[in-house]
Amino acid sequence: MATSRNIFFERAEWRRPLAWSAVLHGSFFLALFLYAVFVHAPAGDTWGADDTGSAMSATLISRVSIPLPPNPVQTENVLADQSQGLSKSQPKAVEESPQALPIPRLGKKPKPQLRTSKAQPHTPPPEDNTVPYGEGGPAAIPYSTFTLQSMQGGLNLGGTGDFGRLYGWYVDVVRRTISQNWLQYEIDPGIYSAHRVYLTFDILRDGSPANVQIEQSSGVPSLDQSAVRALQRIDSFGPLPAGYRGNRVSVEFWFDYKR
Amino acid sequence: MKRTPFIFSILVFASLADAQQDWIRTGTGLGVEKVRLAAPGLKPANADPALGPLLQTFNTTFWNDLDNAGIFEMVSKSFYPLQTPGSPPEMRLASWANDPANAGMVAFGNLALQGQQCVMLGWLFDVKNSGSPQVLGKTYSDAAGDDGARHLAHRFANDIIYRLGGAINGITLSQIAFISSRSGHKELWLMDYDGAAQHQLTRLNSISLSPRISPDGDRIAFVNFGKGVQLAMFSVELNRTVAFPSFGGTNVTPAWSSDGRKLAFSSSMRGNPNIYVSDASGANLRRITEGPGPDVSPVWNPKTNSQIAFVSGRSGLPQVYIIEADGANLQRMTDTGYAVSPSWSPNGQFLAFAWRRNYGPGAPGGQDIYIMDVATRQWVQLTHDSGLNDFPSWSPDGRHIVYESRHGARSEIWSMLADGSKARALTSSGNNSQPNWSFK
Amino acid sequence: MSRSYFLFIALTISLLLIAGCAKKPAPVAAQPAPPPPAPTASLSANPDAIEAGQSTQLTWQTQNATDISITPMGTVEPNGSRSVSPNESTTYRLTAKGPGGTQEATARVTVSAGASAQGAVSETEAQAFARNVKDVFFDYDSYDLRPEATASLQSAAAFLEQHPNLSFTIEGHCDERGSTDYNLALGDKRASAVQDALVKDGVKGTRVRTISYGKEKPFCAESNEQCWQQNRRGHFVLQR
Repeated sequence: MATSRNIFFERAEWRRPLAWSAVLHGSFFLALFLYAVFVHAPAGDTWGADDTGSAMSATLISRVSIPLPPNPVQTENVLADQSQGLSKSQPKAVEESPQALPIPRLGKKPKPQLRTSKAQPHTPPPEDNTVPYGEGGPAAIPYSTFTLQSMQGGLNLGGTGDFGRLYGWYVDVVRRTISQNWLQYEIDPGIYSAHRVYLTFDILRDGSPANVQIEQSSGVPSLDQSAVRALQRIDSFGPLPAGYRGNRVSVEFWFDYKR
Repeated sequence: MKRTPFIFSILVFASLADAQQDWIRTGTGLGVEKVRLAAPGLKPANADPALGPLLQTFNTTFWNDLDNAGIFEMVSKSFYPLQTPGSPPEMRLASWANDPANAGMVAFGNLALQGQQCVMLGWLFDVKNSGSPQVLGKTYSDAAGDDGARHLAHRFANDIIYRLGGAINGITLSQIAFISSRSGHKELWLMDYDGAAQHQLTRLNSISLSPRISPDGDRIAFVNFGKGVQLAMFSVELNRTVAFPSFGGTNVTPAWSSDGRKLAFSSSMRGNPNIYVSDASGANLRRITEGPGPDVSPVWNPKTNSQIAFVSGRSGLPQVYIIEADGANLQRMTDTGYAVSPSWSPNGQFLAFAWRRNYGPGAPGGQDIYIMDVATRQWVQLTHDSGLNDFPSWSPDGRHIVYESRHGARSEIWSMLADGSKARALTSSGNNSQPNWSFK
Repeated sequence: MSRSYFLFIALTISLLLIAGCAKKPAPVAAQPAPPPPAPTASLSANPDAIEAGQSTQLTWQTQNATDISITPMGTVEPNGSRSVSPNESTTYRLTAKGPGGTQEATARVTVSAGASAQGAVSETEAQAFARNVKDVFFDYDSYDLRPEATASLQSAAAFLEQHPNLSFTIEGHCDERGSTDYNLALGDKRASAVQDALVKDGVKGTRVRTISYGKEKPFCAESNEQCWQQNRRGHFVLQR
């Protein structure tokens, strides 16, 4: 009898504390809510504040990430390597060890290999009338290599052998005209460096470029295409020098790109 | 924290400015590197005293032609060796190729008088190539006298520019037509590209405006106020105006297509100033633009002759638009301000025009020449804070722009490279305006 | 029993088939399409004799034509009317081409140069003109008529209707700011705006000539707003 009364008494006991607890909790959250809404919100920052900061002229569309080169410095060092021949040294053929194939599981096809851009650089077919490497010769061709800020390249001229030696100024005109017509904003701005791309084309008697071909791609299509478009933009380099007997000159033009 | 955005924007802006200049230099053939050229000029072939003044004229003109070509970095005369050559045997390559001259090319030669002709022999040598230095070796002759000497200098300079500039013809023999009110009325005048030989063409004693030289150089179309506001045609060969049909309304701003077959102009013959196209004789009239306009100042794309850029006030202040030559595909090129007087570059890539980006009564800033790339609509300001600049006109090589610059009540004609450098005045007296460069 | 039933069915069906065959209509002979009607064209100019600078109304009508052109104007709509102001006597030729053929019509407009043929203008009339027909002024880079300009033009139109012998020119002018060529077009719009307002108020179009001087003939030369406002005007010049 006494226990049952005690039980009832205990049961009655928790109601009041519970009520007090609920009330206090509720008032606490209410106060928090009111504080947030009325005291803080009008003065605080909304998410993504539209503080425009320093305004840029919206009409300048040029891509920010391409710092196009200033006036390039023509290096005195005409040769990029030790070659004393008329033609540029051939790039070293890089031997790649074949990728090990995983042991094929029964029923499953082997994963296809990813071809990296470090593909075997196939040597461009040698001109049949250029002086072979190492045989030496007269002084180096002037202006046959060049360095701009992001581009390093060179020219190889075929024809009857010593075109580059006799008409170095013409090589210079060709090089300058190509670099003048090369619009770097055509290259994907995500590309920071690219391996060598080899282009070959012929210069006809009247100076117009013909038969433009990508001899070896750099692996970056936009870089290759920007080079091809540069050549397509050129109508003429000027007629071939009068003293030159041939009908055309073939040019191999290569460059590396590094932003 | 607050400082970072400011610095960032400066760096970005600096590299953007570089970027702007580079695509201009690429498109206009000004190049990012220039040949170092030394031009000691001609020497007398013999001791004829009459050669003195001729040589003076030749050498000054020759130097100016090469200096203004935009593709050479002229070696300063103070660096030349003491002995300058007059012929190949006298040429010492080493003294030119090494310091202090450090030249890449040298142009030299000699001049002689033979009766009524002056004859010159000129060479261009590549001094860095000791094996075979000769690039050019030519002989020229012209009438003896000041004009002949200038003409010789122009021709020799042209050949050098053609050889070293990538097969683009030099502009030394081109001409500029303009309007001058020196005689009391606005008349048509003509001068050499460097401001020499300015002479009056018309004597109509009324108001003449907007000269446009035809592609073959024989006729100049312009606007005359004699009987209404009509198009008129001047024949350089006959040295007088020739007949051209008149239309109703106000007819202004003629423009030749680069094949010389068509004329575009603005006419209000049907009520509103719109762009019309006709044959070079004025026949086969066709209206190109519609609406209230006012549409004015058409100019053809000289590479394709299938597009016309013009100015229209249809949306308020005048803006530059492009439309196909059959009237389709209207595109607006400028977005704000007051844009007038478009001129299309010879390679079809750029529009030069006069723009006042902050326009309105009391607004600061002047009117300046801008270049816009047609494909990307990127633009660059060429002139800065030097008066009110208007009426840009491209040179045939696409490397120079001639324009009118007005300070107060005086307006003169200036010429500059297409990247805004090397601006110089071509005229100095009278009110000279609305220059137009010939096609060749 | 079933056999006769079967025969009866077959007979019915065959009768039906024969009847159907008999009902097939005879094929109708194809008739040739009617020939297309020939186009008609008519062209008239009203009035057909004007003075240099005045305009005349060309009206034309065509039927059954697809390709209509008037030399020297070019291609036009099949029926229409247009105001032209030739500088010399012209014969307008309307050519209407259609599937049925071609039809032409001409209208000749004679233009005589010279002073007003309706008699000389007296001094008092000139003074009255100057008093009643006042220049209107425009806002910056605008060819819209201000309300006071519209009112002024209405009273000018009333005066002009009382003096039908007076012919005049409206010149459009601009201030010195702005480019030469664009100002010529803007001046033309200003003169046209004034002309349109007068014609709407009843003045005959043949009496009015318009010309634009852009900024070539300013009324004052200072570089301040008063002078600029003075130059932005539509100016009336009486033809004597």
